[in-house]
Amino acid sequence: MDFTRRDFLKLSVIAGGALTVSSGLYLPRIFAADKELGPLPGIDVGGLIRPPGALPEREFRSKCISCGVCVNVCRVMKYDAIAIAGLRDLRNFGTPYIKEMRDFPCYLCMECPKHCPTGALQKIEKEKVTMGMALIDFGLCFGWNGDICLSCSKACPLGALVFDFHHGTWGNQPYINEKCVGCGLCVRYCPLGGSAVKVVTRSQYAIVKEDYLIKFKRLMAMPDEERYAVVYGQNLPEIIARGRLLEREHR
Amino acid sequence: MTKIGRYFKVKLSKLRRFVLLGIIILFLLQFFGVKALVGGLTGSVAVWFVKLIDVFAYFESLIASKDFTMTAFWAVLPAIALYLIFGRAFCGWVCPMDFLYEIVNRIKDKRQGSGVGSQKKTIADKISPKIGYVVAMLLIVISALISIPFFTNYISHLTNFFRTLTGGVFLALDLPVEPVVVVYSLSVITALLVLEYIYPRLWCRALCPVGKTYGLFNKVSLLKLKFVEGECGECNLCEQMCYMNVKIARNIDRPGLRDTNCIYCGRCVEGCETKGKLIKLSLKRVKEL
Repeated sequence: MDFTRRDFLKLSVIAGGALTVSSGLYLPRIFAADKELGPLPGIDVGGLIRPPGALPEREFRSKCISCGVCVNVCRVMKYDAIAIAGLRDLRNFGTPYIKEMRDFPCYLCMECPKHCPTGALQKIEKEKVTMGMALIDFGLCFGWNGDICLSCSKACPLGALVFDFHHGTWGNQPYINEKCVGCGLCVRYCPLGGSAVKVVTRSQYAIVKEDYLIKFKRLMAMPDEERYAVVYGQNLPEIIARGRLLEREHR
Repeated sequence: MTKIGRYFKVKLSKLRRFVLLGIIILFLLQFFGVKALVGGLTGSVAVWFVKLIDVFAYFESLIASKDFTMTAFWAVLPAIALYLIFGRAFCGWVCPMDFLYEIVNRIKDKRQGSGVGSQKKTIADKISPKIGYVVAMLLIVISALISIPFFTNYISHLTNFFRTLTGGVFLALDLPVEPVVVVYSLSVITALLVLEYIYPRLWCRALCPVGKTYGLFNKVSLLKLKFVEGECGECNLCEQMCYMNVKIARNIDRPGLRDTNCIYCGRCVEGCETKGKLIKLSLKRVKEL
């Protein structure tokens, strides 16, 4: 068979083109944020949720060599929580983050910081981890809409440290305080379709904190008639609509 | 044949592939929960205890972060110790690209109908291997400027090879992974293979900063090329077999050779007319080197 360099160049151009096209096909999927019904649609995650013990963003990026030890340590521990960041933000390319907390949250086994060879993840205690901050969507949470549900607090590895309950007529009303480390176990074990808890980065929390607190205080001070209208008028239909999402998740 | 080869009657080229296969299998076992070797060749954890980090990656990370940590230092020490013993043998024995390149070269030989080792010299052979140090310095400077280990994160064949592996396995098992990472990493590896097809071993000999760093260890490593005094037929087969352009034949009257480009693949040992009596890979001390 006659195979000249020209043929090869042609072939490689075709192969390169195919690769570019295939990655191009992925591009829309990359840039279109998941449109799945999630909690708190108004609040963005605000970056990447890093594995536990990560240094501040800038230092973390400068130290991480994308060796994949944390990803594979997580795999060996059978949690599979850590993924490698793609091209959405070029600075973050190749660095690890917790991708799908709904299915694969961090279990705070603290093995990845123990094994990180670069020092980008530092060995610290569970309680001092600052991966992010879990926010409850008061409009979706069962506990805020006339139910008693303790799923999130039972799943939480820090438990009583993190959860404040404001028991009342409208349910057990859980509130996650700032001791939250952002592991996402509550996101995983929320019985609502698409979860009623969202974990955002610490920097994002600093931005949205005020609004979130105002929302919380307004709900706490709300008179019963008005609360009735909110729960039965807006929230419950929304919650029931998510039942189908839960079915899909279970499938 | 080396001593090991003599005991087990294995050819060096076969032994080399066994070593590579063994290491890749150890890395693959991590996906099934075996804690033998976890991570990739840029950084890994051996037997769940010893952290290892690639020397060039260490420097890049160090310079990019402008911060010294004991964690990384303790991880690079065992790596340095390994290379003080084996020199640049990493390239020939452990690096998966060496194997992939060999396959590419076999395909090329078949297509062009010429024998192994008799490939035409391309313009790439005129490029001085010293350019690699400039490339490495440049990459380090870029890393310092953008505060990200540039080569290791984006270009490195080792990172990308293991990202492809891990990503592929995660895709197959439906675990969290961004497919674009796999596509990117696979593209980089493909691009390197295309480069290999056009300019054989240009990457290894002149460009790869990882190999260049290990090459420096060749100057002091225990492992070296040892030449035994004897009848050299001056057939020049050793130099023809060597794809790293090490000048073996013209140094054959010396006791040994420490060349920063030698990857201790042993092809010269096998290629030699005397079948390994003249050239040897030796860990023993050689006088006047």
